[in-house]
Amino acid sequence: MKAFLARPIVRIILAVVIAVVIIVAPITSSPYVNYQLSIIAVFAVALLGLNIVMGYTGQVSLGQSAFLGLGAYIAAYGVRMEWPIVLTFLLCCVIPAAVGLLVALAAARLRGLALAMVTIALPIIGVPLAKRFPDFTGGSQGTSVSFLEAPDWSGLADDQWRYYIVVAIAVVLFLLGRNLVRGRIGRAFAIVKSNEAVALSMGISPYRYKVLAFTVASLFGGAAGFLYIAVVQYTSPETLSFATSINLIAAMVIGGSASILGTILGAIYFVVLPIAAGQIDASRTALISGAVLLAVLFLLPGGLVSLPRRIVQLTSGAKRRGGSTPANQTPTGGTAPDGTAPDGTAPGNTAESAAQKQPK
Amino acid sequence: MKNSLGPNKRVVGTVAVLGAVALMVTGCTRAATDGGAGTGSGSTSTAAAASPGITDTTLSLGISSPLSGPTAGPGSCSVAGLDSYLEAQNAAGGFEFGDGKTREVTLTYLDDTYDPAKAVSNYKQLVNDGIFAYVGALGTPTNAAIMPLANKDEVPQVLLITGASAFSKDQASNPWTFGLLPTYYTEGNTFGKLLADAGKPITVAVLSQNDDFGKDYVAGLNDAIKGTDVKVVDSATYEPTDTTLDSQVTQLANSKADVLLSAVSVTPLQVGVLTKAQSLGWLPRIFLPSNTSTPGTVVEPGGGAAYPAVYSTSLTKVPASPTFAEDEDVKAYNAAFEAYGSKIASVFTPHCAWSYAEGAILGEAFKGMEEPTRDSFMTALKSIKGFDAPLLLDGISVDTTQDDQPAISGLTLVQYNGKGYAPAAAY
Repeated sequence: MKAFLARPIVRIILAVVIAVVIIVAPITSSPYVNYQLSIIAVFAVALLGLNIVMGYTGQVSLGQSAFLGLGAYIAAYGVRMEWPIVLTFLLCCVIPAAVGLLVALAAARLRGLALAMVTIALPIIGVPLAKRFPDFTGGSQGTSVSFLEAPDWSGLADDQWRYYIVVAIAVVLFLLGRNLVRGRIGRAFAIVKSNEAVALSMGISPYRYKVLAFTVASLFGGAAGFLYIAVVQYTSPETLSFATSINLIAAMVIGGSASILGTILGAIYFVVLPIAAGQIDASRTALISGAVLLAVLFLLPGGLVSLPRRIVQLTSGAKRRGGSTPANQTPTGGTAPDGTAPDGTAPGNTAESAAQKQPK
Repeated sequence: MKNSLGPNKRVVGTVAVLGAVALMVTGCTRAATDGGAGTGSGSTSTAAAASPGITDTTLSLGISSPLSGPTAGPGSCSVAGLDSYLEAQNAAGGFEFGDGKTREVTLTYLDDTYDPAKAVSNYKQLVNDGIFAYVGALGTPTNAAIMPLANKDEVPQVLLITGASAFSKDQASNPWTFGLLPTYYTEGNTFGKLLADAGKPITVAVLSQNDDFGKDYVAGLNDAIKGTDVKVVDSATYEPTDTTLDSQVTQLANSKADVLLSAVSVTPLQVGVLTKAQSLGWLPRIFLPSNTSTPGTVVEPGGGAAYPAVYSTSLTKVPASPTFAEDEDVKAYNAAFEAYGSKIASVFTPHCAWSYAEGAILGEAFKGMEEPTRDSFMTALKSIKGFDAPLLLDGISVDTTQDDQPAISGLTLVQYNGKGYAPAAAY
């Protein structure tokens, strides 16, 4: 199976099938489904940023919602001021990245809990700040915008047009993110995550790479903010709220830390679970969500992305018990074709695992 | 052959295939779900012009409120009271409509945890499922996010449980959106009038939340006392995230004002204000906003009896209060809530009573609805005048005809009497 998947022609066909599904889906789906698909793309981008700093580099960040909200406010402001849309998008990336860089320059000197505390401050300061500048943010009532309406020549409805724009941007950002974590920088992130002393001995400055990871995460957060406005067309201080950060982290762990595919699964979980819980019993959504979270963590400590491997593990285990030859031992902890992390550490305790002395 | 293609050619090939497929499928567009309005729930055997969500025998409503998270209490009540009224009425035979038919009205409720993105998602889900109208949702940001969508889709988004003025003040621009409750501005204004009517010099200290809600209260007060002998001598603000307001209260106590307008919306902080001021020996008359004036959770723990007067505003009878134990409305409410609402909300907040009254207002609108359309519903809803909805206090009635006010704009000023609230005497 693995060899089959590894063949280039199979992978291309798979990619084409997925691409066709992504392109065709909105044409046949209802506006409601398109909204959900678009919002999955939005949070996938935010999660990708979070995964780069937490999953790949092993630094705790509890402030991703602040960058999401900042990007959303910049986008809303840009739309109201009628700035060119491309400029607005670039500002949504650059300003949160600059803020992230400034915070990281100070925060990346810290580690573990101290670092987590600094990043908590961002959404906690962000919410009252957003309420204080009503001219820019619309105050507690938030700000509504109306843009990205489908042009006549496209023959599309607004929800379809927004879906295509949001998904196209998300795909590009995912390709960039994938190249980043698979390349030289990604390897440096992995070493910083596993052992800072070793990184230093190899000429890799942990400090510099941590700052870089934070900046990239903030950039993705800001870009996700733009996409958020494109889909929801509204933002308020609630977007920045600390609870959103925590839910994003839960979704990242659920999907699969340090995995591109896991990021997408995490975003699907983030969006679909509350809907599913609401279908079961709308007054018990928190309870159902909590139960699912626990169930996934117990059964799949590596996240949803480890599900195929887990199934193979269980079935081959059953075969062995059934007396058949253990000819096809599954490689556990190895690199999966989807780019799962080479190290099999359970997500969540990444910060502690990197608790080496920092010789700075 | 394929294997001999270089990577670039492969990409070009992929793109070409994708392009071809995309061109093929763009030919087939979505069938009937365009416009975001859904196609109604099943067979609509009424006139062809019937709006989605209504048949000869049923009408479906939808609501998205916070049912989990910090706002779950009020949010659950905004569903429970409404559901109690609707289900009790259904059990009694259903709602009578202006077109002579009797329909069963169902309510679908979803949880948005006070998150605007989830609220929008829920709204789209409800519309997709074919609701007739979106009613009674609690929350300012969540409703603000939905308002442009509802007005674009022409889906009624009405009788919203929020004190923000944004939902009712510009009904020409947002004809499909309509609030239920008096605004924060009206609360501040009502209290200001009491002071102004006293006709003597009064000094006022103001403590308010540092956002547009707080500003609404203060603006209401200031407009009422303009040009009178009532003067605001000191003011302070706070953030909802503050852990104590002791320094603000100490600052205001130095003004020795006769009256304190304490527009604090966080229950523990409001209790802190009441205890701190008396510990400093400052005993002004105090005005509390309606959402933090419950005797059991605010006034009694704060030692409110020490003050010469504690005022608040009120809309509805309190079902648990002995004062109203024999009231017909309260009896009906308690029975309906026991049967239907108690599985949605476990703790009473005033929102339960408000949303129960809201159910009756909807029933009144249905009576005036001559065609099974959303247009007809909005026309009927906006022509209710002098309707005494159940649980509303004497002197307060529903008037939906003012184009810059919510359905209920009147308020009764009440005064704490040691056990509960009674109508306030003059200053």
